[in-house]
Amino acid sequence: MSNCFRCADGALLRGIVFAFILLIGSSAFAVLGQDVSSVQSDGARIKAAVSILPGRSYSVHQMRAPSGTSVKEFVSPAGQVFGVSWQGPVTPDLRKLLGDYFDPYMQAAQTTPRVSRRVLHIETGDLVVESAGHMRFIVGRAYLRSKLPDGAAADDIR
Amino acid sequence: MTFGRLRIIGIAHGFAILWLAGCGGGGSHKSAVINTAPLVVNAGPTNNYANGLFTTVTICASGTSTCQDVSGVLVDTMSYGVRILSSALSASVSGALTQEKDANGNSVAECAQFSDGITWGPVKKADVKIAGEQASGLPIQVIGDPAFSAIPANCTSAGAPEDTLQSLGTNGILGIGPFVQDCPACAPGTTNNQNFYYACVGSSCSVTTVALPQQVQNPVAAFSVDNNGVLVELPAVSSSAISLNGSLIFGIGTQSNNSLASAHVFKLDPSTGNINTTFKTKSYPSFLDTGSNAYFFLDSATAGVPTCPSPANGFYCPSSLTNLSATNTGTNNASGSVSFSIDNADTLFSNAADSVFPTLGGPNSGTFDWGLPFFYGRDVFVAIEGAQTPAGTGPYWAY
Repeated sequence: MSNCFRCADGALLRGIVFAFILLIGSSAFAVLGQDVSSVQSDGARIKAAVSILPGRSYSVHQMRAPSGTSVKEFVSPAGQVFGVSWQGPVTPDLRKLLGDYFDPYMQAAQTTPRVSRRVLHIETGDLVVESAGHMRFIVGRAYLRSKLPDGAAADDIR
Repeated sequence: MTFGRLRIIGIAHGFAILWLAGCGGGGSHKSAVINTAPLVVNAGPTNNYANGLFTTVTICASGTSTCQDVSGVLVDTMSYGVRILSSALSASVSGALTQEKDANGNSVAECAQFSDGITWGPVKKADVKIAGEQASGLPIQVIGDPAFSAIPANCTSAGAPEDTLQSLGTNGILGIGPFVQDCPACAPGTTNNQNFYYACVGSSCSVTTVALPQQVQNPVAAFSVDNNGVLVELPAVSSSAISLNGSLIFGIGTQSNNSLASAHVFKLDPSTGNINTTFKTKSYPSFLDTGSNAYFFLDSATAGVPTCPSPANGFYCPSSLTNLSATNTGTNNASGSVSFSIDNADTLFSNAADSVFPTLGGPNSGTFDWGLPFFYGRDVFVAIEGAQTPAGTGPYWAY
């Protein structure tokens, strides 16, 4: 193994990382539940990297919002965004990221009795939204339970 | 320190502050300022808070005796700044606070972003008093001010407003964490893409930059003395209880009651405020947060603990008390293991009289959040960034 590290590090890299990455020039958020081509023209200059994990049915689009928060979109083989996750100094623009699911999320967030504090767990219909962390460090995700493709688990959306 | 001197300081507070500042603030002088504020864990002003840590803060119009004690203010070691609900302030105090203006004379408002929602409202300047300490002319946030009722859409894009007593669950937030300002990335000269600060013309508000001294900020750093951090002291509690009393002590190594003694220092990431926690060989970003009301950690499968059925599905519901252990590591490589226990949240909540839950836990797959139960039975120091302490410069945690 160690002998091979120098002689074939390109292949080894692929073997270890199990991913290849394709850089796309400029992109913006796609919207939860819609086709990956539903890129909104939000004016953001976002570099997106697409990782395709061998042995997995879905792809992951990783990008960085202008605030510095990194966003991942999980795309099914049919091209539908079934989950999104984020980590960074602030929450990304959930209105754009959740699309039609933003209003149900907001309504549930405002009507669900709040027992847990600083950790948000919303389930409304098909939608699950979670957010945690603290000021300057926010971690969250949202996904559609019925849209998880075969071979994808909710815990994969991170 | 005599009773007579304390009385004099009480009468001539401003003079005493000047006298103490003359000592140089190095911590070697024994300050006579009363540096201890009472803490209580109880159900809070809405009478339904679980593991809520509260204190009383006095808000005064700057340089006046127009003041109000606001009780039921949440003590939060993972945010920065004083935020008070508009509805908790009397009209006379609220009306006497000075509205912060930008260079164009427009009112400054803030969309403070928390992990579970946002607070929206104007930035005003106030004298903030806690125990015998005072931060003069401190920018604070007034949450839910009816004069700023239109919340910008790019603010609510970050989360649901917590602008009422019912949604916030407290009369305010006392953010006394390891940093000074709440948004350094919003200062002039930064990219300022955080949607935190706004300049308002009438009800129309747009994102703006705010210089660090004008930002909502940690009041402790603005005290004349005992300003290098805090000590949160809460007694151990073996099972659920109705309430619990403790102390919030200002300063680290500045008086006889805030010595670090044998506490271990965990330096933290200077940009995020995180340390690391390792559970079964895997490492997670972590933090010590009095504002989180449970141990929030891992997911059900990794922790080996089932979550509760709805509606308490944000908590764990093991069939019996479950003992766990994890290891905290600072950026200075200091490390130490923490043992903790999780009980069935549905069972804990079934006794409606209780508000103190030392074994309350819930899932949180991205981070390891040592919420208020971690603080029961521990003296936890929070050293502020850039501040000198007997154990070196902040920021750090020590316990």
